[in-house]
Amino acid sequence: MSRQRLTVVLSQAQGKNPGRRALEESIAAALIMEPGLDVSIVPYLYDLDAEHTGRLFLESVQGDMVVLAWMFPRAAFWLLDRDGIKGHYGDNQIAPPTEADEDEDGEPEPPKGIGAVNVAKRWIYCLDLRDHGNYDIYIQEVRRIAAECRERRAAGNGQTTMVELGLPAPQPQPSFASDQLLKQPERRWYPVIDYSRCTNCMECLDFCLFGVYGVDNLDRLIVENQDSCKRGCPACSRVCPEQAIMFPDYKTPAIAGAPVGNISGLKIDLSKLFGGGDAMAMAAQERDRELVADGRQAVGMSVGIPKRQADKTQEPKDDLDKLMDALDELEI
Amino acid sequence: MPDDQTFLMGKFPAVLPGGLLYARNHMWCRECENGRARFGFTSYAVRLMQDVYFLDWQVSPGDRVELLQQIGHIETSKAVSDLFAPLAGTLIAFNPELLKDPSGINVDGYGEGWLFDMECDGASLWTVDEYEQFLSDNWEKTQRLIKGKINTED
Repeated sequence: MSRQRLTVVLSQAQGKNPGRRALEESIAAALIMEPGLDVSIVPYLYDLDAEHTGRLFLESVQGDMVVLAWMFPRAAFWLLDRDGIKGHYGDNQIAPPTEADEDEDGEPEPPKGIGAVNVAKRWIYCLDLRDHGNYDIYIQEVRRIAAECRERRAAGNGQTTMVELGLPAPQPQPSFASDQLLKQPERRWYPVIDYSRCTNCMECLDFCLFGVYGVDNLDRLIVENQDSCKRGCPACSRVCPEQAIMFPDYKTPAIAGAPVGNISGLKIDLSKLFGGGDAMAMAAQERDRELVADGRQAVGMSVGIPKRQADKTQEPKDDLDKLMDALDELEI
Repeated sequence: MPDDQTFLMGKFPAVLPGGLLYARNHMWCRECENGRARFGFTSYAVRLMQDVYFLDWQVSPGDRVELLQQIGHIETSKAVSDLFAPLAGTLIAFNPELLKDPSGINVDGYGEGWLFDMECDGASLWTVDEYEQFLSDNWEKTQRLIKGKINTED
């Protein structure tokens, strides 16, 4: 029965980079032969709109899922959450080969954020295809995850009253034509919110003058009009005091959803030293550029700049540990 | 011409040539004729970044840029950073060699590893002594920033 199977979704890279395509194909070819897995390929996750077959497919998936995509796992996970494809965050052991277990107590600091709502009782594992060029590492990790999911189900089944008699009931499997599944979507640009960090402070809503943000009927902050967002502009992400806003395609890792507290492989961000200066000023500047491009008046720092952040450090918190490590290596 | 200066970053001596001008975003500037100037990273900046892997510009030659407008991005063995215009002006050219192989920044940061040429007014730039002073004054803070402790005061 399909609930017992693990769905593996490969999200393609944008563009036609042959190296990336080759990695995707090697992974797909290897996994398709694995028992207990359902493997599907969809276009770049971030670009899928609500009508896209790939998105409908993702929504139809029951049970545990592994998503391999060309973005940070945190970005992929909350992107899916935003699309209503919800579950618990499954940790992978791929990204930091030396730092697999957090050295403190195995748990990251308790989430400050308001958390996701209506989380389904299943796990979603997101793997970043940029981590390794070798497909075998991904195959091994998917196998590990498959085993982990089996164990979890086995443990869970002991407690529940779910009984399976005889043959599994036929699952109504929606079918998706592969040409529809792989239809290349338009490029999109919008913020993705990490609700494990978002405290609902609404500073982004005050700051963005393009109406991207709103609240839902529970008064939770949401990205309401995602396609009103201005391509390339990450300003709200700089304003967010919790670094909860991600733009998966942005070049700066802290904005693109780099992992929190996971340090290996990540780098010290020197933007502040090299003239990045004040994140608020930068955000205001970026917003002004978009306002002017829209034929509106630049507002500078006069609108939506939170006062209480006036003397706050601009260095993203994610970077602190990395910075410390980097310093040791610098021997300065 | 002022003497060369050396700023000690811990044990590492960052050499600062006396004949150059300096911007606060750790770029040097060599003034050329007709209002053009060449910019590159100081050895201080290069030491913080270490081996450059990737350099990308987000503006094109001929573009007008504002002071500290974001113009590019760099990735090195130790760091990533957005890059910002050291002055307001017009970008004339980017070093084409670096786009093929950015390690020129490490090999010859004050020469072949130059970053870009601009048409600009360099009056606000610093002399080597002023830059050295700036580095000294901010060294504590920089270390704190790197250690991630800057939010304790400031």
